[in-house]
Amino acid sequence: MFKWRKLGRIFNPQDVKGRDWLKEFAQAPSVLVFDNFVRVYFSCRPLPDKNGQYISYSAFVDLNRNNLFEIVNIAKKPILALGELGTFDEFGTYPVSVIRNGNEILAYYGGWTRCESIPFTVAIGAAISRDQGETFTKLGKGPILSCNIHDPFVLSGPKVRRFNDRWFLWYVAGTKWLENDGKPEAVYKIRMASSSDGLKWSRNGEDLIENKIEENECQASPDVFYYGKKYHMFFCYKYSLNFRNSDRGYRIGYAVSEDMVRWVRDDRKAGIDISEDGWDSESISYPHVFQLDRSVYMLYLGNQVGRFGFGLAELESYTSS
Amino acid sequence: MRWKKLGRIFEPSKYKSPNNCFEFAQSPQALVFDDFIRIYFSTREKDRIGKYLSHVSFVDFDKKLKDIIRVSNHTVIELGGLGSFDEHGIFPMNVLRDNDRIFAYTTGWNRKVSVSVDSSIGFATSDDGGRTFRKIGKGPVLSSSLHEPFLIGDAFVSRFDSTYHMWYVYGTKWANHPEEASPYRVYKIGHATSPDGISWQKEGRQLIADKLDSDECQALPTVINFDGRYHLFFCYRQAIGFKHRRERSYRIGYAFSEDLKNWIRDDENVGIHVSEDGWDSDMLCYPHVFHCEGKIYMLYNGNEFGRFGFGAAVLEDTTNEGLLERYHIHNKGADQ
Repeated sequence: MFKWRKLGRIFNPQDVKGRDWLKEFAQAPSVLVFDNFVRVYFSCRPLPDKNGQYISYSAFVDLNRNNLFEIVNIAKKPILALGELGTFDEFGTYPVSVIRNGNEILAYYGGWTRCESIPFTVAIGAAISRDQGETFTKLGKGPILSCNIHDPFVLSGPKVRRFNDRWFLWYVAGTKWLENDGKPEAVYKIRMASSSDGLKWSRNGEDLIENKIEENECQASPDVFYYGKKYHMFFCYKYSLNFRNSDRGYRIGYAVSEDMVRWVRDDRKAGIDISEDGWDSESISYPHVFQLDRSVYMLYLGNQVGRFGFGLAELESYTSS
Repeated sequence: MRWKKLGRIFEPSKYKSPNNCFEFAQSPQALVFDDFIRIYFSTREKDRIGKYLSHVSFVDFDKKLKDIIRVSNHTVIELGGLGSFDEHGIFPMNVLRDNDRIFAYTTGWNRKVSVSVDSSIGFATSDDGGRTFRKIGKGPVLSSSLHEPFLIGDAFVSRFDSTYHMWYVYGTKWANHPEEASPYRVYKIGHATSPDGISWQKEGRQLIADKLDSDECQALPTVINFDGRYHLFFCYRQAIGFKHRRERSYRIGYAFSEDLKNWIRDDENVGIHVSEDGWDSDMLCYPHVFHCEGKIYMLYNGNEFGRFGFGAAVLEDTTNEGLLERYHIHNKGADQ
C-alpha cells in the first residue's frame, strides 16, 4: 500500500514565454537526474492549426535538485525534430522516455502520423543524445517498434528501464479502433518488450494488466520501478468513450510483480486520487515514479491530460502487502 | 534471354467481379494445380468517396494458359477492419505452396493524410485449396523499421533449402515535385529470410543497383531458379511523370545471382519489351515468373498498371549473352 502526499503543481506550460512551440500541455513527465538538477522531459504543443489539429514536441525543464519547485532552466528548442514528409513521426513526438547508456542517453518516443479513416497512428522511435540530453538524433527515419501480428494498431507510450543488465520497454498497444459514430477512438493496453542491447526488441503482444472498469478500458503510462524487493507499476486508465467527461477520464492504477511478467492489479494500493478542486480535480494521469536522494516522488498530470501541466507528490508511506 | 509473348490472356471488363470491382487485374500471380493454373490478381472497386479499394480475385486457366475454366465470384480474402494496415486494399497477393499448405503474402494498404498511403506485408493461409484465405492476425508480418521507414510491400516468397526467402519493396522517400499534384515516392527492392515463413529477419540493404538514378522506383520482385542460377525479374520506372509519359513508365528489369546474395543487374538480357502498339505498348509491369510442365512463364501487366488485364509470355531461350563475362567482372570488383 502506497500513500502519497501531494506537493502541488510544479510546472504549468501556459506560464512559459517566448516559445511558440510550447504553448499548451506538458504531458508524460519523466526524469533524468543530474548532480545539481533534475531534468524532467515532457511533451508539449503549439497552438492548434486552423482545423483544430495539434502537433506535439518533446522538451525538458530542469528543477533544482534541492528544491524541486525551483525551475532553473527550460529547453530552448524541442529535443527532437518532427519527421520528414510521410514518416511515422511527421506530426508529433510524444511521449518520450530516456535512459543513460554510458556517456550517451537513449530516448524512446511515440511518433505520430495522421490517417484517413482513423485520426492518427503511432509507432515507437528511438534517438540518441551525446550532449547530456539537450538534443537527440534519431537512429533512423523509421520506427524501432512498428506494428506486427500481435500489435496491429497504435504503439505508443514507451517507458524504458534496465534491470539486471536486461532492457525492458513497457508500452501501450492499440487492440482495436471503435467506430464511435464516425469519430473513431482507440482502445489500448499495457504490454512489454525486452532486449539485450536496447535496439533489437522482442515482444509477445500479451496484455499485462487486467481490465477493471470495462473490457475496452484504455491503459497508459506503464511506469515501473523496483522498490522493497518488488516491481511496482503505476499507470493510468480511462473509459474508451466519452472520457472527456471527468467521471470517465484518467485515474491512476497500480499493479505489483515479482518477475515483471505476472502482474497483480490492485488500484486501492495506488494511494493517490483526484483532488477536491484545482488543477487536478477532474483527472490524474501519466504517473512517473522516481527515487531522489532519500525520497520517492511521483510526477503526474492533472486535468485534460496535462493541458495545465504536471504536479509532484512525495511518498509518505509504503507497506508491503 | 528471350520471351515469346502469348498476348493478353485476361481482360477483367469481360467478367463480373465480386465486391463491385469493375476494372483492373493487377499483379497476376500463379499457383499451379494438377489440372489447372490458378492466377490471383487484384481488382478494384470505387468506394463511397470515389477512391479505389483493391480486392483479390482469381481466374483458373488450363495448363497451357489458353482457356479460362472459371473466374472467382466470391471474396478470396477480406480487407482489414477500421484502422488496420490492410483496410484500404490488398494488392498484390503472392501465393506459395508449402508442402500441403498454401501461404499468402499480402500487401495491405492504408490511407494517410500528408501522403496518400502506407503499406505493410500480411500473412494468410488457405484451408480450402486456395479458394479463400484467412489472416493469422490483424497486423502485418513485415512492416516499417529504422531504415525502411514506410511502404513495405510487394512480397514474393520462395523456399530454397530450408530457408524462406522474401523479396519485397521498401520506401525510401516521399517528396514533392512541380510536375506532380501530390507527393511522389521512391522505393527499392529488399530481402528478408525466415525459418518458418512468419517471423522475418530483414537483410537491411538495397538488393538491386539503380540504373536510372537514385530516385528509380523498383517494384514487384519475382525470383525463379533455372540453369543452376537464380533469376530475379522486377519492374522499375522513373519517380516523376511515369503515369502519362511512356518513356518514364514501368519496364521489366532483370538481375541474376549464383548464391542469393550477390545480384548482378542485367536489364539488357531481360528479353521482354513494350510492344509497338496495343495493350502493353506504354508500360510493362508487375512480372511473375513460374514453372509449369517444363516451361517457364511470365505473367505481367501492361498499360495503366493493369487496368485492361494481364498477359503471359513463355521463355524461349535462356541464354544470357555475355553473362559469365559480366559475372566475373562483377566478382572481381567485389573482391577489391
